[in-house]
Amino acid sequence: MTTTDDFIESLAGDLVPVRRLRPPPLRAALWVALAAVLVAVLVLMRGVRADFFDEIRDPAYWVQLAGAWLTGATAILAAFEVSLPDRSRAWLLLPAPSAVLWLYGFAYGCLGHWIAIPAGAPIAHDSVRCVETIMMAGIPMALGLWLMLRRVRPLRPSGTAFVAAVAVAAVADTAHLLIHVVEASLLVLLVNLAPVTIIIVLGSLLGRRGLRPV
Amino acid sequence: MERSSSSGDRMSGGGGAPVPSAAGRPRVPDADWSVLMARSQDGDQLAYATLLKSVTPYVRALAARVGLTGDDGEDAVQDVLLTIHKIRHTYDPARPFGPWLAAVARRRLIDRTRHRSRRWRRETALTEAHETLAADEANYQEAAGEARRLRAAIAELPPGQRQAIEMLKLQEMSLKEASARTGQSETALKVAVHRAIRRLRSLLDGTR
Repeated sequence: MTTTDDFIESLAGDLVPVRRLRPPPLRAALWVALAAVLVAVLVLMRGVRADFFDEIRDPAYWVQLAGAWLTGATAILAAFEVSLPDRSRAWLLLPAPSAVLWLYGFAYGCLGHWIAIPAGAPIAHDSVRCVETIMMAGIPMALGLWLMLRRVRPLRPSGTAFVAAVAVAAVADTAHLLIHVVEASLLVLLVNLAPVTIIIVLGSLLGRRGLRPV
Repeated sequence: MERSSSSGDRMSGGGGAPVPSAAGRPRVPDADWSVLMARSQDGDQLAYATLLKSVTPYVRALAARVGLTGDDGEDAVQDVLLTIHKIRHTYDPARPFGPWLAAVARRRLIDRTRHRSRRWRRETALTEAHETLAADEANYQEAAGEARRLRAAIAELPPGQRQAIEMLKLQEMSLKEASARTGQSETALKVAVHRAIRRLRSLLDGTR
């Protein structure tokens, strides 16, 4: 039988120096910068969407784009904050206002003005390219965040995994919004909203265990 | 039973032992703990042992508040200390230590009380009659003597070896579970068990 004093001695005997985590705002700033570079590289590789210079005059497009990017940035900060034991759960709500803008963009562009798929449109080809972009942005983001958050060993793995998944989905969608023209409502649902939802659901479920909670 | 029996530093003992205030925050100068934790993060074993001993009464009082007393309470305290050990890199010395500790302890104690209520729902406690009447070997006085000798020999092992034997042999945990619980590698645990068995053999041979 181990007494608590003996247990403390054995823990102290096993002690090795550890590298402290940097403050969450600093780590989040680094990650937002990395996400910006990732999105920029993807835009350079695949080219900006054909109607970009028309779209930038449309406030609805800006609202959705800014909403997606801000959701990504705030969700990254929220994930780093909430993964620490002594931070409030209220951090989970940080991405909510920008997520409302982002979702408003989806709803406005997709359900507000229902646009049917034009006859003869290369749906399969376009859809594959859209999903490719989302994966090219999402996979490196997801892996990087997973590795960083795994090191934290969060006490609240579910909340942490959820906001991290929201961050990945939002950054991936930012790249998608800059690169692809998707006007038809059904396609927006299929190649934009559906992958975003899948990333959030899968990320939350897999991330919860994968983050090595203590 | 996992790790049990209490240490000497009970709430009433020791000068200046911290106790939870009405707000649930420890009444000790937080700066002391912060400094000790910062030094622990740098690998100072003495500071770490001092810190853990100093927070133990506070954690024990929190455990008692949620109904974890006696052996259950000590197991809970050790669980909280182990969690502190595993996530000590997440503490920022620029912030107060009390809220960090309270959050870790609260989270771990909630998990334990949930686990305990689940266990109570599906298990019935054994009485003395179950133990002495149901199993023949429980009535063999000779075997009881052997067990006592073995327990005494285990108690003489160094802490690391004793912990490895208790987890892997007495509690029959898998290497993976014990590794996750102690934070030690599976190889280190295997080596500890091997050495512990060799030492037990020599201790028991010596007392025959």
